Amino acid sequence: MLIELLTDRYPGMRQWLTQRLSAVVMALYTLLFVLLVAIQQPTNYQEWHAFFSPWWWRLVTILFWICLTMHAWLGVRDVLKDYVFNLTLRSYLQLLVELALIVDLIWLVMILMNLNTGTL
Amino acid sequence: MKFSIYRYNPDADKKPYMQDYDIVLEDSDQMLLDALVRIKQVDDTLSLRKSCREGVCGSDAMNINGKNGLACITKLSDLEQPIVLRPMPGLPVIRDLVVDMTQFFDHYNSVKPYLENNDPLPETERLQSPEDRAKLDGLYECILCGACTTSCPSFWWNPDKFVGPAGLMQAYRFIADSRDQAEEERLENLEDPYRLYRCHNIMNCVDVCPKKLNPNAAIAKIKDLKIERAKDKKPKKLFNLKVI
Repeated sequence: MLIELLTDRYPGMRQWLTQRLSAVVMALYTLLFVLLVAIQQPTNYQEWHAFFSPWWWRLVTILFWICLTMHAWLGVRDVLKDYVFNLTLRSYLQLLVELALIVDLIWLVMILMNLNTGTL
Repeated sequence: MKFSIYRYNPDADKKPYMQDYDIVLEDSDQMLLDALVRIKQVDDTLSLRKSCREGVCGSDAMNINGKNGLACITKLSDLEQPIVLRPMPGLPVIRDLVVDMTQFFDHYNSVKPYLENNDPLPETERLQSPEDRAKLDGLYECILCGACTTSCPSFWWNPDKFVGPAGLMQAYRFIADSRDQAEEERLENLEDPYRLYRCHNIMNCVDVCPKKLNPNAAIAKIKDLKIERAKDKKPKKLFNLKVI
């Protein structure tokens, strides 16, 4: 089973495969996004608001952002592993990136669910 | 012809330096190695490895005008002057253009570069079909010169952990061999996050290989094989319950 490759038993494969699978989801979302924008051609705030209104589209967008978060997290982790050899500094930098990514994700969910305006 | 060559003798020099040479060559001097031999006639303190002088032994791998290659099969007419020669990057320098390849061969040995087959020995050799034999083309030709591994940034950053393109291509050479029985162990041996997965498809290895081989493709095939094998596996029973 492919899912087994995403477990602890395959630490290298898990990271590599997660990055690839998340990239596939992001690529599909991007195609869909471009297609929908081409069809609906939103130009002002109201139209963009309407564009992101369907609940399924919000869920898909959140899924896309989760994939983006995982992809970016693994990618930056790779870069830090290669270039920052001081373990303490690397841990702090990693933590900083993780915080930024999580805050970003939460912010996106709040925007999409209209929590800030309370209109949902 | 003008040369600028990396010089370092740890017994005498505090730090490495570049030495310029202006050498008159003869008509028969066509390859870079011919010119280096000519330089050695003038300055016999210059150290380099060489042996077969025809791209088979891989001894004279070095960094030529910024790109790794074999001096013996590099045409002088293809090089811009001054020709800048340095030892291969990423490995400790023993002297001048000679590097310590212990790390490189440690990684090579770690992939068990030999056939593992526990069947009793046949009367003659272990036979392969022409199709199975063809799977080794583009893999077995590696001469272990180290040009690919030492041009790989992933190896520069993690020389002790990342096996490197040469070692990984040899790992796949035995995984792909129909006579080998240790495919599972070989794949398992490359599972940690560093040994195989530090390869980020930078492709320097493909660019520099003097034998025109493609270690990057071999590395990709190892990853594909891991996925293929996982697909073939039956799902594990959850909580060890038997389904009637």
